[in-house]
Amino acid sequence: MKSDSENFEALRKLIALKRHEIPPPGYFNRLPGSIISRIERGEGQLSFWERLAANFTVRPAFAYAFALAACGALTATVYSGKGRVTDTAYQPTSKPGWRTTSSDEALGFNPAEGPHVATWLGSTNPEAASMTLPSLFDVPYRTVQVNYQR
Amino acid sequence: MLTNTDLEKPMSLSPASESPEDAQSGEIDDSTLVRRAQAEDVSAYDQLIRRYQERIYATVYHMTSNHEDANDLVQETFIKAYRALKSFKGDSSFYTWVYRIAVNKTINFLKQRKNRVHMSLNDVDFNAENDPDLVALVSDKTPRRDLGLTELQEKLNDALQKLSEHHRMVVTLHDIQGLSHEEIGKIMDCNVGTVRSRLFYARQQMQAYLSDYLK
Repeated sequence: MKSDSENFEALRKLIALKRHEIPPPGYFNRLPGSIISRIERGEGQLSFWERLAANFTVRPAFAYAFALAACGALTATVYSGKGRVTDTAYQPTSKPGWRTTSSDEALGFNPAEGPHVATWLGSTNPEAASMTLPSLFDVPYRTVQVNYQR
Repeated sequence: MLTNTDLEKPMSLSPASESPEDAQSGEIDDSTLVRRAQAEDVSAYDQLIRRYQERIYATVYHMTSNHEDANDLVQETFIKAYRALKSFKGDSSFYTWVYRIAVNKTINFLKQRKNRVHMSLNDVDFNAENDPDLVALVSDKTPRRDLGLTELQEKLNDALQKLSEHHRMVVTLHDIQGLSHEEIGKIMDCNVGTVRSRLFYARQQMQAYLSDYLK
């Protein structure tokens, strides 16, 4: 049985013809000059993002440090934002951000206890909307006197 | 004159395209030139270009079968290598590194160029007419005895263009450039087994395409 090299011997001889294909005369004398002049003209300068990507490829430690810093910044942003929402959510109605209706007090709601149910429902704040709503049946009992005089 | 033994080994294209080891045994080795080029010494980079331009050009040219495309890609390869030189840490030789840039650039280019192949072949040099193996192929072994070298060249390039980019690259680097399987593996970022199997498959395909000229 013939080996692979014997099987392909004629093909390899034919492929060797490619080695005889040569570029126009003087081409290799001109090529370095063309490349250097393009380099000196500033062609092929890497953009900021390409340089960053190159650094990631070459220095994995740089990539890890960058990823860590980005995660830290993201976490800090999320937590600081969350704190602000929480503060607002539990503010009594005396602070801006909560609607205070004139009927609240008339109905016996104490603004210091928290916002009115309507205020919770009307809020577009997802944090506030997801919180446990005060019961609709927690309206303070008020005695009403009715006179049946005719 | 080419012999079978010559075909087994890398053929020296010119003094400038000797093996990397030979190149490094010259006046200034690659690593020194690279360090100087990293410090923006353009003349050092010019020497590196002169050292490797022929092999890089040959690889790109045999892949594209087009001199103009090869010229553009070689220039872009060396410009990109210069811009990225500061990130070159010397884990591989400069020669392998720049080859890898050329190979990636060429494969990307060919994927974009798909279905619009336009060959612009270089002339075959005078020595080819005296190459006994080729003379035998042209005059004795082919069914068409009037087939000239130029026609044979076109058929060969047609067959190469029918291979996928990766298979063509392996044939180019091994059978034309004479690189070893290990070197090709490093350049193409794959293992030696993959290189061997790609080479075998590519040769089988080419043999089928060129069967009329190999009888």
